[in-house]
Amino acid sequence: MIQLNGISKSYGNVSALRGIDLFIKEGEFIAILGPSGCGKTTLLKLLAGFMKPTKGTMTMNGTIVASVDNVLPPEKRNIGMVFQSFALWPHMTVYEHVQFPLIHHSFAPKVDKKWRDERVKQVLRMVGLESFAQRYPHELSGGQKQRVSLARAIAPEPNLLLMDEPLSALDAELRMELRKEIQQIHKQTNASIVYVTHDQSEAFAMADRIVVMNRGNIEQIDRPEIIFSRPKTEFVATFVGKCNFVKGLWKDGRFIPNQFPNERWPDSGVSSHFKKRGLYPVRPDQWSLKKAKDGSGQGIIKFVQYQGKEIHYIVQVGEKEWTVHEQIQSSTYLQEGDSVHFVFKNKVRNQEAIVI
Amino acid sequence: MFFISKQTKEITGRRSSFSRFYQWQKIWMILGLFLIIIFFVSPIIRLFLLSFMEQNTFSLSHYSQILSEEKTWVTVKNTLYIVSGSTVISLIVGITLAWVMAYLNIGGKKWIQLFIFLPFIIPSYITTLAWIQLFSENGPVASILEIFPGDWKLPNLYSMTGIIVILGLSHYPLVYLLSVELFRKIPIELEHAAQICGAKKGKIMYKVVLPLAIPGISSGGILAFLSNLDNFGIPAILGIPANIRVLSTYIYEEVVGFGPASFSRAAVLSILLGGIAFIGLLIQWLLLRKSRVIETVNRVTEPRIQLSSMKKRFIEIIIWSFLLLTSFVPFLSMGMTSLIKAYGLPFHLENLSFKNYEYILFTDSKTISALTNSLKLALLTTVVSLIIGTTIAYIRYKLPNKWTKLVELLITIPYALPGTVFALSMIFTWMQPIPGWNPGIYGSIWILIIAYITRFLVLQVRGSYTALTQIESSIEEAARTSGAKFFVKWRKILMPLLLPGVISGALLVFLTSLTELTVSSLLWSTGAETVGVVIFNFEQAGYTLYSTAFSSLIVLAILLLGIFLIFFEKIWRRKVLKQVDSA
Repeated sequence: MIQLNGISKSYGNVSALRGIDLFIKEGEFIAILGPSGCGKTTLLKLLAGFMKPTKGTMTMNGTIVASVDNVLPPEKRNIGMVFQSFALWPHMTVYEHVQFPLIHHSFAPKVDKKWRDERVKQVLRMVGLESFAQRYPHELSGGQKQRVSLARAIAPEPNLLLMDEPLSALDAELRMELRKEIQQIHKQTNASIVYVTHDQSEAFAMADRIVVMNRGNIEQIDRPEIIFSRPKTEFVATFVGKCNFVKGLWKDGRFIPNQFPNERWPDSGVSSHFKKRGLYPVRPDQWSLKKAKDGSGQGIIKFVQYQGKEIHYIVQVGEKEWTVHEQIQSSTYLQEGDSVHFVFKNKVRNQEAIVI
Repeated sequence: MFFISKQTKEITGRRSSFSRFYQWQKIWMILGLFLIIIFFVSPIIRLFLLSFMEQNTFSLSHYSQILSEEKTWVTVKNTLYIVSGSTVISLIVGITLAWVMAYLNIGGKKWIQLFIFLPFIIPSYITTLAWIQLFSENGPVASILEIFPGDWKLPNLYSMTGIIVILGLSHYPLVYLLSVELFRKIPIELEHAAQICGAKKGKIMYKVVLPLAIPGISSGGILAFLSNLDNFGIPAILGIPANIRVLSTYIYEEVVGFGPASFSRAAVLSILLGGIAFIGLLIQWLLLRKSRVIETVNRVTEPRIQLSSMKKRFIEIIIWSFLLLTSFVPFLSMGMTSLIKAYGLPFHLENLSFKNYEYILFTDSKTISALTNSLKLALLTTVVSLIIGTTIAYIRYKLPNKWTKLVELLITIPYALPGTVFALSMIFTWMQPIPGWNPGIYGSIWILIIAYITRFLVLQVRGSYTALTQIESSIEEAARTSGAKFFVKWRKILMPLLLPGVISGALLVFLTSLTELTVSSLLWSTGAETVGVVIFNFEQAGYTLYSTAFSSLIVLAILLLGIFLIFFEKIWRRKVLKQVDSA
């Protein structure tokens, strides 16, 4: 159970975090998602205890661990951490890496050597490295190195696991494989996980809740499917959903787009933030395109990008460029320069929308 | 509110001693800064003030007197002439070698590099003695010249040219070191781009490579300039007998001359010399500020130009002849001289013996006591610098702010100052640390201890800092999140990783203090002679055989230490850090 109350951190005049409030439940998997420089790494370092907040307090299991005056250092917290660069110690074997926190970690059970040996082997088995115990870091591949880092972090059974972009230094295939292992470890350990990443597919795949950050602020905290389908701010809508913002008028819970005054779009949970601004965020997959005859369409296709399962169209509409993603099988191939109509997919469910 | 304050107390009670250290951070920083100002800054201020003092009142009389003497201006002219001449030699040799090493596919680069670095660890006064023996009446050059017909004259080293050449050859490694890194950092893509745009090879060199290399080359040049200005051994050994003065030897002559106003006169001359050095430092600082542009680029270590095997052989022969001629043959002839029974005898088997070594090791107690003194001084300086220097480096690394930057700048001052100027400021400061109270530091070995630590501390700070920057911060963070407290973290993680870098910094401090001459020549007293002082005095008194024998011993000891370090580092990297040899 971790509670952050109005945590701010600034370096001189630059503020990295501005008043962060966050509650992490026991055993919860939280992903912190944001572009580089959004403050996510600073937040993780504060959670670890490497630095002091300039404002606010942090509580772990009922004890204040960080405030403006005091900070409980990392070696006194019940945490484990996995680093982007693995941070393995070049002069120690895999076995010694896992054993190290068992000897030194303040919260690791104080037990005899035999039990410790058992535990090291057990943890190495969990990450599939039992036959590599006597290897040194330079004798391991990237994926194996990150498994050692993972084993070292979970060995003392901390109740908070911090992960700083643990997969971003690995290639695509390994990333997929290790995702499963991290999920497996989450199930087995019962620890809360705070997982920092800039890769949204990682966040969506593993997290119970996602914290989207931008410029030192939290933009939205929600379950992955809510973040995706009901973004609260422009930033979340573009960063996560790659949304197009359509201007128009909100009236009686329905939306009248300026560009298509004859249509009425239903309210599928659009946040009040957008309603106030007269906007409707449309994800590229919420539209499909229909070829218009003799250039009478609403827009003209500017670029076509073939993506395998999908085709991405960038369409010029007035002064704006909107993006539309179409499934390959559902569309006839459109060409650059084609004049097209937009079909809003959600509209179909609401027959009345077309009538007027 | 009550709840929070109660909880906060709870953490305070459990805090480790080190986090309490953080709490006291401000007090420690202020105390540290205060000590640094006393030890590193106040001597310079005292020196400056004393140059204006006449009978305890402010006066410009020393300035007006010295500036009106013709001898002063001759000395300044000599200094500038000698320093610029030797800097040009350092630049030409350093840049050429750097370019060849960075660009051409010649073999044995590791060995070449080792030979280039020799002048770094062998003190210049010993090098000078070696050169004198090479060109002496009975030396190898003379006997080679005898073979040729005609009347060949031996070059006279006791001259302006002699001083310039030997200074230049002693300090080209500085230029080499800075430019070779720079040449390697110039992205090869830039050259390819120029090639694609149609530029010929010569044009690429002139339009692309040189403009990018100029910041590094010129800051290497300034460094060589400062070292030439600072050097005392070479102009003292070669210049004093020939009546050629430079500022550093003139200050020395004033101080040891013990005239009525000699200290004040020396102070004024020091301000002159310090002023010239300061201008050099200023130019260097300006250049370094501009040279940040290509710092981030990856180094290219493979040769960029592949020569045909004929050309390659040819260049290798030239380089090795140069290196052997400048870094090996002089020392060989010095070793040969040291074995001759009586000075002036030719090098024949029947004239050889270990008599000179016997004398310096067993008969003359001065050499052994100097050796013991220097060893003690070097050890003490090394240990103190190791602890204080590594601590400062660690704080500088952990808190990269303007205060720690200031600290780094302040402790660089004593090292950046010319040695004679620094030594004089030490006399002024420690003769009477508090005006009116003379604890006898000046006149004992203590002033040497203080001076060495003050002057060489920065070498350890740099060495340890470099070692620290090689370690990614997450390595230390991983130790802490694994629960390692301060001492465990240092003993188990940081020390093993830092040791090779820290030790090579410490060895540099050790070697530099062991063979130091400039500072000790002004601060030594009877019973507190150092190796450098004894060799210098032997040479001044004409005991060439003893000075060469002692010097040969020191050179051997230095080489042994160097070899030891290379092996230690190799073994440590393989056995402890488990690194595979990359070369």
